[in-house]
Amino acid sequence: MALEDFAAEMDRCSQCSYCKWIPFDQMKSWRFAKNCPSISYHNFNSYSARGRYAVARSLIGGQSGYSDTVRDIVFTCMTCGSCDVSCKICRYNLEPLEMVRELKFRLVQDGQGLDAHKAVVESLNKEQNTMLQPKAGRGEWADGLDVPRLPSEKAGVLFHAGCRFSYDQNLQATARAAVLLLKSAGVDVGIMGEREVCCGGRVYSMGYKDEFTRFAQANIQAWARAGVKTVVTSCADGYHAFKRLYPQLGSQVEVLHTVEFIARLIKEGKLTFRSQIPMTVTYHDPCHLGRQGEPYVEWDGVEKKIKGQIVVYEPKRPRYNGAWGVYDPPREILRSIPGVELVEMERTREYSWCCGAGGGVREAYPEFSAWTAAERIAEAKATGAEALVSACPWCETNFSDAISALGEPMQVYDIVDLVQKAMVQGGEGK
Amino acid sequence: MTLAKNVYNALEDIVGAKNISDDPAVLDSYRYSLAHTAIHLGPYYDTFTPRGTAVLLPGSTEEVQAIVKLCNKYKIKFKAASTFWSAQGYPSEEDTIQLDMRRMDRVLEIDEKNMFAVIEPGVIGATLQAETMKVGLNTHLPGSGCSCSPLASATSYLGSGPSNLYGGWYYDNLLGVEWVMPTGDLFRIGSLGSGCGWFCGEGPGPSMKGVARGFIGSKGAMGVYTKCALKLFAWPGPEHLPVEGTVPAYKVSLPDNFKAYTVAFPSWKAWADAAYMIWDAGIGYLAHRQYNMFGRDLKYAMVKILTDPTKTLEDLEELLEDPEVRRVTEESKRDFQIVLAGMTPRDIEWQEKAFDEILARTGGWKVEAMNEPEINKWMLLYLIRLGHKNLNLVFGGSYDGCFGFLGAIDFGTSNAEEAAQFKKEWEKQGAIVEAGGDCMMGPIGGQGGGGTGLWENFTCFDPYDKESVEGTLEFFDACTEFGLKRGWGVGMEKWNSQNRGSDGRTTPKEERDRIHLSAPQPSMFRYQHKVREALNPNDLGDAYYETLEDS
Repeated sequence: MALEDFAAEMDRCSQCSYCKWIPFDQMKSWRFAKNCPSISYHNFNSYSARGRYAVARSLIGGQSGYSDTVRDIVFTCMTCGSCDVSCKICRYNLEPLEMVRELKFRLVQDGQGLDAHKAVVESLNKEQNTMLQPKAGRGEWADGLDVPRLPSEKAGVLFHAGCRFSYDQNLQATARAAVLLLKSAGVDVGIMGEREVCCGGRVYSMGYKDEFTRFAQANIQAWARAGVKTVVTSCADGYHAFKRLYPQLGSQVEVLHTVEFIARLIKEGKLTFRSQIPMTVTYHDPCHLGRQGEPYVEWDGVEKKIKGQIVVYEPKRPRYNGAWGVYDPPREILRSIPGVELVEMERTREYSWCCGAGGGVREAYPEFSAWTAAERIAEAKATGAEALVSACPWCETNFSDAISALGEPMQVYDIVDLVQKAMVQGGEGK
Repeated sequence: MTLAKNVYNALEDIVGAKNISDDPAVLDSYRYSLAHTAIHLGPYYDTFTPRGTAVLLPGSTEEVQAIVKLCNKYKIKFKAASTFWSAQGYPSEEDTIQLDMRRMDRVLEIDEKNMFAVIEPGVIGATLQAETMKVGLNTHLPGSGCSCSPLASATSYLGSGPSNLYGGWYYDNLLGVEWVMPTGDLFRIGSLGSGCGWFCGEGPGPSMKGVARGFIGSKGAMGVYTKCALKLFAWPGPEHLPVEGTVPAYKVSLPDNFKAYTVAFPSWKAWADAAYMIWDAGIGYLAHRQYNMFGRDLKYAMVKILTDPTKTLEDLEELLEDPEVRRVTEESKRDFQIVLAGMTPRDIEWQEKAFDEILARTGGWKVEAMNEPEINKWMLLYLIRLGHKNLNLVFGGSYDGCFGFLGAIDFGTSNAEEAAQFKKEWEKQGAIVEAGGDCMMGPIGGQGGGGTGLWENFTCFDPYDKESVEGTLEFFDACTEFGLKRGWGVGMEKWNSQNRGSDGRTTPKEERDRIHLSAPQPSMFRYQHKVREALNPNDLGDAYYETLEDS
């Protein structure tokens, strides 16, 4: 699609501002009622979905042009999708998240990308990762791990570590733990090791669609050559790319997040816990696993009108509004760990507050990104939880950095770490 | 129009660089499409309110005062708005500074004992309600829903909504007000002005509420209201709404002292009789003809869609063929929704008995399909929180109300059918949604023995479709003509045409004068002219504060 294809939506957006708030039905307090970090931090209408519709309309109509302010308006969107959920409480014919993505694509296409993002894209093109690290070190996280390396060896299930788990030394143990968990449960799991490349999801959310497509196609081909039928990842960004974006390019592999796999193994009795973890935790739904984790449904249709002026689609268009994201498996896992008490934050599931790491914001607007994380930590603290648990390395990193900066005692865990800790006699993990 | 650099710098000194912008793209996000809803003057295709010169985000009363004083110094118009529901909050002229009150969004106080809350402009109905429920209190919500600013609704507009029945209109609930006058001076209205606190809008202290608000609210044209106190009322429910269900079909189970019903009647007279009897009996927490906004023919099918997260508008046509849907649609032709809330077990028992007796006397009935648990729990949540009001725009992206029967309930019910048939004929032409003609919605009355009803007939159209927009305008013109011929007066579809014209700018003075002179009480506008001259000597607002010079 092109930005101009959203012209109808730009007119049909009713400027109601629902996109600035969590679904009103779910509001429990003044303090945690907002949903969009961007408008919450910058406050001008322009930084909300309704404002971005207006800005896009103004740009394509030639009423305004590019400026530093316009670049900020566009690239401070974390593409977290919270606006999309709230908009669709009442609307069936608007796609604000898709429109904002298209707006980012347009700016990048017009040479208006940000320097901070260009550095990431350069690293991606040269080193095949978004971490600005050498390609050669990609597989080091798995050194000594006794699992097949694809494609030279064979495995039914591919574990895709992703850029952050591969290169962030604070997190590598989590990726290793995930693989070992699967292996110990009898899963025929393998990895690509040094031959793994970025999923492309993060540069997609920065507006670099062509780069994303190139990397997606490379991965799809590599999986086909290796005979991969199922891909498992512990990264929510990767999950979203594989689950929602890759099928648009022809991928047909089954995609599971580790939490789905682990929840399934627990239900089947293939994972058992040996230790108590006496801890009150709260769970943060990663945007790309939760509200954006709904499965892709192929659709090739057109708009039509019924009853004179009711805008509908022929055939029925799939509706992505966060209803069917991955929310229950991580909660089932946490509830099954002996000693763990799960308490919920006010903003949860489809209306969770973003961690602040998405859309290239962490890379380009670190202060805003840290503020966004701090907001979530305040919400987590309000539950009385000792630990904030998530299922995405980007969320975990952003929270850990913010907690360090704030000097908070809150602990941050990937859910895999808690599972592993509970599986080991005596509670030793990692 | 560009703001002079020295003026921009002076404003920047007041609010800080982060809170001012004159970037054209930012300014364009503060323009309202006149092909949209709640304009009550168009619609006009591809027409927007004018682009202002700058947008400011003040963070305190002191900043607002400083801005307004600077505007007076340089004779610059300014327009404050909080939640931007309609065109009324946006500049009427290019050389206007837009104040976005979003940063002033605190609930400053909830006085549990005296049952009021003190709020800033950026507070929305939902957050105020969430906070008041924690202490067993509730706020009235405007018909536009909980996304809107209660302060704006109470100080600057009508504030009618489903809870009129129990909580009154918002202007009834307005107590003490902190007002940055159009000159930048600070005025404290009511008991606040005599240092006695926020508890009363009239006295002890200066009784300026009527002067400040003017005729149905001053709509951002007479200074800036920076704080106000609103009367609260009892909430006999839990501290938090225990919401369940899959988005968007959220629902709530509340204790047995809450009952939600959709009721229907054999005739409009019976409908009106029931409304009056409800008043006489003193029962009911809120009542509204709500879902009829989708149209008489579509409302139950829409309820089926909205309560099932797997359904979309694409399911509408199939649902309309369902015999059960058709039966319920026919059964609920003349309906309204009501929530009863008992303060004690005996209270809810009495209210239920009284309500059943009212139905028996009027021949009315409970629409059983709406008592189906999943639908009933959805309806209860919808009506209490009013968090789905953007469903007004669900069909094509735009709606506006026509006719608008403002008066005694009988006024609406006596004429509803004729207005519906008139609309139904126009629906056949295709410019507006074919919904059955009767899309009348509104409360069953305001406070005071049956009080005032306000029914608008929702007309839905597509703002992106030139033929739809222009056909809607043609229909609205016909509504006005028909309304005048029938003695109903000018309908809601033209309510704002004396303020803003077809180019999105202030209506020319000659036209405004013509409209005001033909009003039943033109002296009111002459009085407001004198108020404007006295309190807003540099005329830095816009024509939404309606005035008429002495001839």
